[in-house]
Amino acid sequence: MAPLLQVEDLKTYFHLRDGVVKAVDGITFHVDKGETVGIVGESGSGKSITSLSIMRLVPEPGRIVHGRILFGADGQPKDVVKMTDEEIRDFRGSDVSMIFQDPMTSLNPVLKVGFQVREAMSAHDRFSDEQSKARVVPLLKKVRIPGAADRTKAYPHQFSGGMRQRVMIAMGLSNEPSLLIADEPTTALDVTVQAQILELLRDLNREMGTAIILITHNLAVVASLCTRVVVMYAGRIVEEGYTRDIFKNPQHPYTWSLLRSMPRLDAARHSKLLTISGLPPDMSNPPPGCKFHPRCRFRVDRCLEEEPPLGEVGPNQYARCWVLMQNALVTQPEKAAAAEVPIPPLSAEPAQIDQRPDPDRPGAVKA
Amino acid sequence: MTLEASPEVESRVVDKQLALVSVEDVTKHFPIGAGLLGGGSAVRAVDGVSFEVRAGETLGLVGESGCGKSTLGRVIAQLHPATSGKVIFQGQDLVPMRGEKLRRMRQELQMIFQDPYASLNPRMTVGEIIGEPLKNFGLARGKERSNRVHEVMRTCGLNPNFLNRYPHEFSGGQRQRIGIARALVLNPTFIVADEPISALDVSIQAQIVNLMEDLQNRFKLTYLFIAHDLSVVRHLSDRVAVMYLGKIMEIADSHSIYENPLHPYTKALLSSIPIPDPDLEAKRQPILLQGEIPSPVNPPSGCRFHTRCPIAQFPICSEQVPPLESKVDGHLAACHFAGQL
Amino acid sequence: MATAPSDYVFQDEFTADSTYETGEAVSLWKDAWRRLTSNYFALFGLAVIVLLLLVAIVSQFWTPYPTWKQGIGPTYGGPSAAHPFGLDQVGRDILSRLMGGAAIALAVGLGTALLSSIIGIALGLLAGFYRGWVDTVISLLINVWYGIPDLLVVMLFVVIINSRELKWIIVAISITAWLNMARLVRGQTLALREREFVEAARSIGTRDVGLLTRHILPNALGPIIVQATYLIPAAILFEAFLSFLGLGAPPPEPSWGAMCAEGYKSLQLAAHVTLVPAFALAITLIALNAFGDGLRDALDPRMRR
Repeated sequence: MAPLLQVEDLKTYFHLRDGVVKAVDGITFHVDKGETVGIVGESGSGKSITSLSIMRLVPEPGRIVHGRILFGADGQPKDVVKMTDEEIRDFRGSDVSMIFQDPMTSLNPVLKVGFQVREAMSAHDRFSDEQSKARVVPLLKKVRIPGAADRTKAYPHQFSGGMRQRVMIAMGLSNEPSLLIADEPTTALDVTVQAQILELLRDLNREMGTAIILITHNLAVVASLCTRVVVMYAGRIVEEGYTRDIFKNPQHPYTWSLLRSMPRLDAARHSKLLTISGLPPDMSNPPPGCKFHPRCRFRVDRCLEEEPPLGEVGPNQYARCWVLMQNALVTQPEKAAAAEVPIPPLSAEPAQIDQRPDPDRPGAVKA
Repeated sequence: MTLEASPEVESRVVDKQLALVSVEDVTKHFPIGAGLLGGGSAVRAVDGVSFEVRAGETLGLVGESGCGKSTLGRVIAQLHPATSGKVIFQGQDLVPMRGEKLRRMRQELQMIFQDPYASLNPRMTVGEIIGEPLKNFGLARGKERSNRVHEVMRTCGLNPNFLNRYPHEFSGGQRQRIGIARALVLNPTFIVADEPISALDVSIQAQIVNLMEDLQNRFKLTYLFIAHDLSVVRHLSDRVAVMYLGKIMEIADSHSIYENPLHPYTKALLSSIPIPDPDLEAKRQPILLQGEIPSPVNPPSGCRFHTRCPIAQFPICSEQVPPLESKVDGHLAACHFAGQL
Repeated sequence: MATAPSDYVFQDEFTADSTYETGEAVSLWKDAWRRLTSNYFALFGLAVIVLLLLVAIVSQFWTPYPTWKQGIGPTYGGPSAAHPFGLDQVGRDILSRLMGGAAIALAVGLGTALLSSIIGIALGLLAGFYRGWVDTVISLLINVWYGIPDLLVVMLFVVIINSRELKWIIVAISITAWLNMARLVRGQTLALREREFVEAARSIGTRDVGLLTRHILPNALGPIIVQATYLIPAAILFEAFLSFLGLGAPPPEPSWGAMCAEGYKSLQLAAHVTLVPAFALAITLIALNAFGDGLRDALDPRMRR
């Protein structure tokens, strides 16, 4: 079966006064129907520009200069890059929709929430006006907004951050798109609210079969939601594979280091965190060779001159590295050991399930 | 003479039983909509908080946005005057201090800010920024001052050749190092760090966390580390205080708070944190709290957490404010049903 | 503590930073200059201002004829080779008077901008920084002052001082012109004092004077400079207006406003007597405003990359 979304050698460049910034430089990945894929990277890695490219929403002076973005699992996939303005309008919001980090800036502050959800549907012709109107309350219920019927008459500022993000998700799902792109959907939210939103996304993915691309800098969020991960650095994919493989057996030194540089709830206290020295690269003047080599503790001479390809390193796992961690741990054990963080087993039991008999409770864990 | 061999550092006590800072029943209310004749209501950002920070320890202060943790940090660092209560530091109550006396006190009491972009004056060079505290207290002049600045920059992992550059020429992580150097240059005893890493890129955060740990060991510093990220707090802290809506809900040493949280809020908070491990994630079952943190203008009656609490019992939880009291040796929690979730 | 040999120091801590330094060392001012010079309208303004400055300086040492000397040619004489801009109603050389007038215009413009900025900045800083009753008093003063017509203030001032010397004209205009500057600086200060770097400066024991001069004022400088450049044309226009009413610099000072006033009675007979100084005034005002606009755009932080 063809994948739902196939991005092929996508290049999105920004032509600035001082030169060209290759924000996204030749990335290829796919998303299957109903799949959850995480795109992980730091600021400047190109993860957000990737998502904007898929929506053809790249801000000026950026432009997609090369590549294809094929969308559609059944029949003829269409190339988003070549779509006419008419087609792209129809594509956005009905085939693919996007939610952003700050829901307040994406909602119109002077319009009622219910109206905005309806608007999201009437912009497309999937539903008639009657149907759209009837769908508003069920949609808000679906994203578990308490008292949904009454809340349609409220304005965005009367909602809390988490509730606004739910409204955005309701709008995003209103036309039953087959793909939802979530760009840092929980970054602005508190952990307890983040847990609610992640739970909601997980359930919606399961119930409605909507595929999700989660753009984030937070590896833990990816581990919680995604089946596959794409790790980006300096406009390229440096590693890609199933979440489990990437987290248990990362092959790119960047992924490996990133996992060891995060303080974790389940790690020993006061264990030294691994530091990745230096900075993410300046994208208007990226280093030669492997883009990560200035910060890489396992680099060899070749890394300085020649950029490695994204090679297959295991079943369905790809990494862009000349060395690879499986070799580095053997050939350069002292550097690895210097960074190794002992991770003890989790001693506490998983948290107890809320057993209060309250069926309406939003997001209550199902036993 | 290097900073770490100075007599101030030598004589500094690290005794994790001894209170360096005692916060006693501190409140901070921001009046809103008050008319000419008073009236109006107030944001009760901090509402009757007591705890102590012990010499040489790191006390983590965690909570969600709007819980008052940053305000509390600023009240302790004397950047906001407390509405009432005492902040006793080295035997003196800082709250009534004003003017020159308070300014002198600041030598011992420094702050690291959250946003490394906003907390550095864009019109001053790095050398001027780090040298300014010395200038303010007339501590070192000319060559001596620049030597001191060089030394502190090196200590904080900054290249002293960048002395004459402006903050905007640096990355977030480097700017945070500049902010730390500025706090360190006066050789303080106590540092309030307000979310020092939350604005930084993931790969940079570890650099700053490690630097702060390193500095603590070398200079026998005491930290109040404010964060919303419980993983970082666990990594750094000896003891942890959990705040909710202007009140401390639970305070205990790090191990017992993470292994055996007594307050249902702490438990929910801990269970909400995703772990970067797909296998553990599959097993993790978060206790999902309903709704979000209520407004501090009109906090709920009784226990402030009762509106979201999965084990609240009525009417006791909505009527009686549970005191913050010792439940199991030194583990303090403010809950009528501590440990029952 | 359970750690591996943690002494492994990654050697490239500094080199990684310096080799691939982020961005170029472009300061705010350099950046602003680059943007200003790419704005042709502002450059035109700047060119006119430079020309005007040169003319004003030259006029202090040399003019084709003395600016006050009457009857050097036929009254209302039109433009000719000897008198490119013609002669006025008492036979004075208009070019010479125009040059002299440039000096007066610039003296009034710059003098007023400087003096009223000093008043406005000082009061604005105090009101914005200390708030409370200081702010109440200063804000009240500003609002009351706004209510009184500028012309009335200046007329009263001129009457009380009983002098129409240029320096007093400058003082008179300045005491009406500081209001906008004070409002601007107060607003900037109110916003800046809440900024984290000011809070940080307080936490390292910086005194109020240091907070104001090192932290707040330098960061408000951009808008202040822009406001000051708008003050210059406003003051020039106000002086011309005063002179037109006969309240400005006394004759035979070649103020452009006075020249217009003297010529307009004979507008139908000899239009050049009025039009030449009016045109000079217009060009000057357009140039100064163009430069002010360009400066505002160049210094606006939102325009920064």
